[in-house]
Amino acid sequence: MLRDFLSSHKGAFKDYTELRAQINTNQRAVLVSGNMVANSQDSEGGVSARVYRGGTFGFASSATYTPEGVKNVLSAAADNAIFMDSQVKKGKPPLPDTISGNKGLVISPGLAVPQSYLIDFIQAIDAMIVKKFRNLSSRTVVANILNMEKQLVVSDGANSHFYQPRSMVYVVMTADTSDGVPVELYRPLGRLGHFNEIFTDPNLLERELDTLYESLMKKRDGIFPKAGLNKVILGPKMAGMLAHEAIGHTVEADAVLNGSVASFNLNKQVASELVSMVDYAHTYNGEPCPLPVYVDDEGIAAEDAILIKDGILTGYMHNRDTARQLNAKPQGNARAFTFSDEPLIRMRNTAIVPGVSKLEDMIASVDDGYYLVSSGNGQADQTGEFTFSVEEGYEIKNGKIGRALRETSVSGVAFDMLKTIDMVSDDMHWDISGFCGKKQPMTCGMGGPAMRCDINLGGK
Amino acid sequence: MNNVAQYALEKALKAGVNKVSVQVSNGRKDEFNIEANNFSLMRTLFEDELTLKVITNNRKGTMSINKLDKDSVDGAVEECIAMAKASAPDEAEDIAPLVKNENFSRTIGGADKQKLFSRTQEFIQELKDKYPTVSTDMQTEFNHTKAIYLNSNGVEFNDEAEWYYAQPMFSAKEGEASSSFNYYAVAADNLDKPFMDLGMLRTLIAESERSVKTRMVDDKFVGKIILTPACDDMIWYTLLWNFLDTSSMISGTSRWKDALSTLVADKKLTFSSSPLNPDMIVGERFTSDGFLSQDFDYIKDGMLNSYALNLYGANKTGKPRAANSALYNIEVAAGDTSLSEMIKGVDKGILINRFSGASPGPSGDISGVAKNSFLIENGKVTDAVSETMLSFNVVDILQNIPAISKERCVNGITVLPWFMFDGITISGK
Repeated sequence: MLRDFLSSHKGAFKDYTELRAQINTNQRAVLVSGNMVANSQDSEGGVSARVYRGGTFGFASSATYTPEGVKNVLSAAADNAIFMDSQVKKGKPPLPDTISGNKGLVISPGLAVPQSYLIDFIQAIDAMIVKKFRNLSSRTVVANILNMEKQLVVSDGANSHFYQPRSMVYVVMTADTSDGVPVELYRPLGRLGHFNEIFTDPNLLERELDTLYESLMKKRDGIFPKAGLNKVILGPKMAGMLAHEAIGHTVEADAVLNGSVASFNLNKQVASELVSMVDYAHTYNGEPCPLPVYVDDEGIAAEDAILIKDGILTGYMHNRDTARQLNAKPQGNARAFTFSDEPLIRMRNTAIVPGVSKLEDMIASVDDGYYLVSSGNGQADQTGEFTFSVEEGYEIKNGKIGRALRETSVSGVAFDMLKTIDMVSDDMHWDISGFCGKKQPMTCGMGGPAMRCDINLGGK
Repeated sequence: MNNVAQYALEKALKAGVNKVSVQVSNGRKDEFNIEANNFSLMRTLFEDELTLKVITNNRKGTMSINKLDKDSVDGAVEECIAMAKASAPDEAEDIAPLVKNENFSRTIGGADKQKLFSRTQEFIQELKDKYPTVSTDMQTEFNHTKAIYLNSNGVEFNDEAEWYYAQPMFSAKEGEASSSFNYYAVAADNLDKPFMDLGMLRTLIAESERSVKTRMVDDKFVGKIILTPACDDMIWYTLLWNFLDTSSMISGTSRWKDALSTLVADKKLTFSSSPLNPDMIVGERFTSDGFLSQDFDYIKDGMLNSYALNLYGANKTGKPRAANSALYNIEVAAGDTSLSEMIKGVDKGILINRFSGASPGPSGDISGVAKNSFLIENGKVTDAVSETMLSFNVVDILQNIPAISKERCVNGITVLPWFMFDGITISGK
């Protein structure tokens, strides 16, 4: 656990200052077709300081987290702030004080999970796959732990200690089509918590492996969808990607200041009135979010950011600086990935709010269309134009699920596509398996229900 | 630093492991950040790293830490050995033999912080003066790294390098209309030229202004595309990750796993990894396995010449090891057609500057949206496009490359020409 070498330096702060100590540890074991291709640990820790003066920041970081190291980064960050102020001369007043977060550890760092635990676990999964499934050309099993611990003090009073362990197992299965072309499906499994408490028994994942294999066998015989605009049910696993990529990034205030589509749509109808969307800070439906944030890396006490309410765009996500520029309240979205990263505006647990329809009724309502179950990755830009891969999908014919789809992708313009949503299911699926990329990577939760909409599909 | 590396190596060997490699590096980064055309932050990073690999009884462990004090190094060596002992044995695990030790120095006199600030300021000012609708976020950097690699076979490499780097992400906006964002990276070993004049940056920024108003493709057709050097991930990195790298070869999912020395592409194509090319700023000098890096061709005149296998991958598959591990320093040989002639040769197609697509699976099937891209109609580049989807199979389209440009673009990281591909399914809404 990190020692506190920070608090004693608070008296030395002259301008607005953040001082953060952080350590990220990453354990990884990878089996590719039974071969242990990776067995690694990374530990990256240190201290950083960020100082605001006259409208710009100075930042410095060092791996040396000692009282002397803290002093050195404070001095270097202040020098950078002075250099920038002297060169840029923005002449802005100090950042205003705001509601500071004070929060101690919610989850305590446990004992390190031995690497042998990860290795044994994935070897057992791999053995199960080999024993049960005959028609695979390749399989990959990955165990990954990312532990992030932060201590923060801020000149206006914030003081927090944060620990977040993310434990994941990823399984990829590959099979060849009848004409020898490999197709694959993958499944991320895991959540917040210590690996050895979440993954207690490899046999408990058997059902997940069965469904993954069954889906892959269908995909092996899959078809390409019709390219163009189609009636589609986006499954709950796809909704989080939509919320994060297509909408979420456009309502980050730095994107807004760069002219994103959201910049001129505040308080306007951007979606069907069935659509509401929230960036949850730490609690959903009375339960902790998948990756809760209580205090951000600018020391703001985190609260939910209501982004879309009944189809109306109601707000953006901010850091202290953009909140002042756009006359809004910062709600705890400034986060940094490693000790040497400066806080950027990031999503936390971004989700479309569930509706009232039943998924089976939604599928039954489509005469000719597609049910898109899961996505591998996605991209969007500030116009709201997005693309997501479709890992698993099926055609719908006369209200019934038909043949599986080969790899494809969907695209559209978010604020157009959202207006076509006419059914929203009562499901909620959360996903924390990936990383959001924006200068730095970041862990994020994303979630949502199933939605019926019109969307553009790649295909033939 | 040398003492730390030597200490870690000897400690691991004394503990009884069979093979060890250690890389220790430290460095400094000075970085200016721009948000929406305004300076926002200056960042200075002091960086240390130790990466240790041990092999004991054919079992491997890898450990990386960013502390170089004795306690941290002791802990890393002990943990790495414990990890290796817990791993599965594999005879393919190895380290490089001693062939020739070398020292490399590519320093440029340290950071000129004031000039880096001035070049950054000049870039922003030129945007405001000449491209007033364009807004950018940007980072400009000076980097200094010093590294030593040692292994228990006696291999020792030292490398010290310095370079500048800039990466703007930009878009243009007029009223409520805006272009898609685009981004582009350049690297340089001096600040003699404005950033705007490096690689394709000026062209891409000018095209961003032209992309505010777009047209949708209103039908579906199979046609040609011209891929600019800025769009380097659509084809080249897809080939690396899905057909050439160690993981795809060991898993057996590479569609080219048995294609060495056979034609896999049009004979016009020579696709290389060239970290020693002087146009590549700070190209790799030694591999992560401990071999001296050399340039090589993945594909030579259409024939598959090498995979991107590391030492483990080579031992595992029985195929030759790649002559470097610098997957990013890619180069494609120039063709014999001028870019203007290539454009004239397209009746209906698209000029692609950026492709936003799903990561392709091992099948090579790819679909995604053309971004910052333009229609080509009757041999002329016309309107920018939006909501235009491309679908193709990367293996299939390499078989017939109608043209590769005489011109090539150098940005300090890659050296690439323009390409024409055919047989692309292009669909609008």
